[in-house]
Amino acid sequence: MNAELMLWLLRLAGLMCVGLIVANFVAAPRMGYARNLEKADAIVRQIFFVHCGYIVFLISGLAVLCLGWPELLVSDLMGRVVCFFFAVFWGSRVVVQLTYYNPELRKKERFWDLFFLGVFFALAAIFTMGGFVE
Amino acid sequence: MITELLDLGLMVSGISLALLCLASFWIPKILGWKEKLAGLTPLMRELFWTYSFYVFVSHIFFTVLTLGFSDWLMSGTPAAAVMSGFMCLWWMVRLYLQFFGFDFEEVVKTRFNTLAKNTLTLLFIGLVIVFGTALAWNLGWVEGVGR
Repeated sequence: MNAELMLWLLRLAGLMCVGLIVANFVAAPRMGYARNLEKADAIVRQIFFVHCGYIVFLISGLAVLCLGWPELLVSDLMGRVVCFFFAVFWGSRVVVQLTYYNPELRKKERFWDLFFLGVFFALAAIFTMGGFVE
Repeated sequence: MITELLDLGLMVSGISLALLCLASFWIPKILGWKEKLAGLTPLMRELFWTYSFYVFVSHIFFTVLTLGFSDWLMSGTPAAAVMSGFMCLWWMVRLYLQFFGFDFEEVVKTRFNTLAKNTLTLLFIGLVIVFGTALAWNLGWVEGVGR
């Protein structure tokens, strides 16, 4: 694959990651995270928000990398290893969505279900290609 | 001297991270996640497990990087600086949370739990030091950098 095209695809992946970060902040009030966790034990609440924060942190790091220095992801073996990691990361997210999430809820929110499936799939595809590009 | 120390530090960190990943299988049981999550809505439960799974996967990735690509992590390249800086920040946040974020009042105070908590605190301190040093090394801030 053309390296220049790969860099543009990685920048597109970066934009998708920015979208996912924004979506996380929209989802929190929409899904009522705080309200739903009100009655849970403090440790459960804390772990939930900490893990949620770490995921946003990880995706933010990826977004910065893809938008600012996409060439680092295709310049050497390590870049390819990182690409493969994120290919597995997003590929497995598709599997989680299809096999683990509540089918009723997915049906209720069909548009967003398909939208996020598409985003996760596209990210998995881009990083898989990034892992193979010379 | 610093090269050997950093190399050793990365190896010990990698092994510690591998042990942390293994220990992570017991954390849900020790903290009674299954029982504590039973009262949540299905969506919140799914999100909880999904987030936890991906944090766990990230730790596996850090382990692979630290154990399998330590030479690259000390290569002095911008990519190595970015990666070691990211991991340093990751564990700094975790260390902060250990002291100021988590409320451990609800965790049963057994000798094992206290030992586990203190071991984790030491581990996080060690990881911050090692990855912080790796960052400094990659940025050329410490002596003996062969670039």
